Amino acid sequence: MTTAPRGTAHEKAGGGTDRTPPAGDTTAAERPGGPGARPPRRRIRTETVSGYLFVAPAVVLFAVMGLYTVGYGFLLSFASWNGFMPHWTWVGLDNYADLLWRSPVYAPRVRDAGLNTLWVMTAVPVLTVVVSFPLAVLLNRARRMRSVLRSVYFLPYVTSGIAVFFAWQYILKPDGAVNLLLEQLGLGSLQQPQGWLGNPDTALPTMIVVTVWGAVPVSMLLYLTGLQTIDASLLEAAELDGAGWWRTQLSVVWPLLRPITAIVVLLNLRDSLQGFQTFLVMTNGGPGDHTNVLGLEAYSLAFLKELRPTLGLASALGWLLFAAALLLALINLRALRSKT
Amino acid sequence: MTSIPPAGTRDRTTGGAPRAGGGAPSGAARTRRILARTVVGLLLAGYGLVSVYPFLWMVSAAFKDRIEVVRGGHLIPENPTLDTLVDTWNTLHFFDFFLNSLLVTLYTVVLTLVIYAAAGYAFAVLRFPGRLLLSRLFVSLLFVPGVTVMLPIVLLENELGILGTHWGLVLPFVNGGAPLSILLMTGAFAAIPGELRDSARVDGASEFRIFLNIHLPLAQPALITVALLTAIPTWNEYLLSRVSLNDRSAFTLPLGLQTLAAENVPQYNNLMAGALIVVIPVVLLFLCLQRYFVNGLVGAVKG
Repeated sequence: MTTAPRGTAHEKAGGGTDRTPPAGDTTAAERPGGPGARPPRRRIRTETVSGYLFVAPAVVLFAVMGLYTVGYGFLLSFASWNGFMPHWTWVGLDNYADLLWRSPVYAPRVRDAGLNTLWVMTAVPVLTVVVSFPLAVLLNRARRMRSVLRSVYFLPYVTSGIAVFFAWQYILKPDGAVNLLLEQLGLGSLQQPQGWLGNPDTALPTMIVVTVWGAVPVSMLLYLTGLQTIDASLLEAAELDGAGWWRTQLSVVWPLLRPITAIVVLLNLRDSLQGFQTFLVMTNGGPGDHTNVLGLEAYSLAFLKELRPTLGLASALGWLLFAAALLLALINLRALRSKT
Repeated sequence: MTSIPPAGTRDRTTGGAPRAGGGAPSGAARTRRILARTVVGLLLAGYGLVSVYPFLWMVSAAFKDRIEVVRGGHLIPENPTLDTLVDTWNTLHFFDFFLNSLLVTLYTVVLTLVIYAAAGYAFAVLRFPGRLLLSRLFVSLLFVPGVTVMLPIVLLENELGILGTHWGLVLPFVNGGAPLSILLMTGAFAAIPGELRDSARVDGASEFRIFLNIHLPLAQPALITVALLTAIPTWNEYLLSRVSLNDRSAFTLPLGLQTLAAENVPQYNNLMAGALIVVIPVVLLFLCLQRYFVNGLVGAVKG
């Protein structure tokens, strides 16, 4: 996201030099950017043609796999269909109404899943920032071990997938490594005899911890790159003014990295709103729907209801998620803009 | 080890006080610095342990036999055995799954690089009508939830007759990676000085030659970053594969792993051995390329 505006800015500036005509005719090459700059017409034409040729594969793929499927899904959200009948039944906005308040079957489920999702969406971004910002600050101080540690911290991202979720499941079992560790530390009272995912009270917090564990690597790396762009003289100035290390971090570094915090929060909000793979693999919503999230609900409406006509409902729920994600992105952008 | 906890508390108190003491005795300052460094090191190592904790047990269980894994117990296997790994690899025909995963990942990465390097070049360098609109359209795709389009993708592929084939995975994967790949490639190409292009144009090089011979080589870190950022999720992908693949012969590794977990009583030593088999190739790939990867990402964020 950060690259886009910068890229275009460069583009504008570079455009002028771009157009400086190759050979002799100097008159045409004047101001960069201005509408008066007149590159030879042939160059414009070849550039347009090659521009379209260069983007053509991406556009074609996007048209089929992106636009078509998005449009298809959008239409489907106004229909009732089980995937097997030859025709859709048009129901207008019924799916949305059913999901949000009308249906006695789906509305309460959506509400509960929404509440779980809200917990995840609040806790995951906050905890991710709380862990990854200090981690990046500390890692930035460590000179010798930095690259080794960076690789170690990145393992959760590299392996994020069902393999590592099964590993989590394994260590969270009743007789798993986490309970064992607690016992060895003398914290036996914290053990979960039903397993961390088996107890309705601990299941969702545990899933949040696992999600944060998976989200820290990228966030930490983003903070780390942000830290390396900070001008060292700023920190020296703070030190000269008598600010201690803590003070410098809080009053100088943290505000400077606010754009990165905004990105980290946005990415994690989006993922916790829409992601559900971890939940599907590790708990499948259980125990007793205590870890059911909206993405998982949409997934099961789409793929696990066999002959019941829930495909339209699944689509509608997907679009509600999309609308929520867009809204969050806009709020996030606004917050970012007003502060910088 | 015993002297560490007091060190931590002491550092915290002194850290809060202004440090610009001018003529502070150098001895005290030095011990303070050493203590601070120790605490930082311990905290960093601590999180490192948190990062690898599930893997340690994954590796451990993969070398345990059936009986020992049920007893739980120690991280270090009492009777380490390779049988579990060999057994899992053979009985599940993991080689076929491995090959399937490799092919899907390879196709996806190659197509991603070819398609989005070209698109990124056009967006960064060439000026043509509709350029901004198109690039924004691609980026906006970031916000479309996977679960929203998954169902239409399956329905569409059913009509196209590629549902259940590897192309049915590759095409959506490539398209799904568009926003990030285009952002990274555009950023990398835009950072290449325009003078290089100009002189090539003076020499009469075609747009394609300029792209191929000047920009691609210079954007190598970005290309590697995009390749890794595509390969890792593709290798680990599970959801679309699960809903679109029916035929066991087309299964990828994550799906093969799933069949192990779906047994009535999952054998955790086999399951972890399978998990290890899934994880090792990406970890190796990452370790080989991580230097380029981090640089590429740093460049993208800075750019």
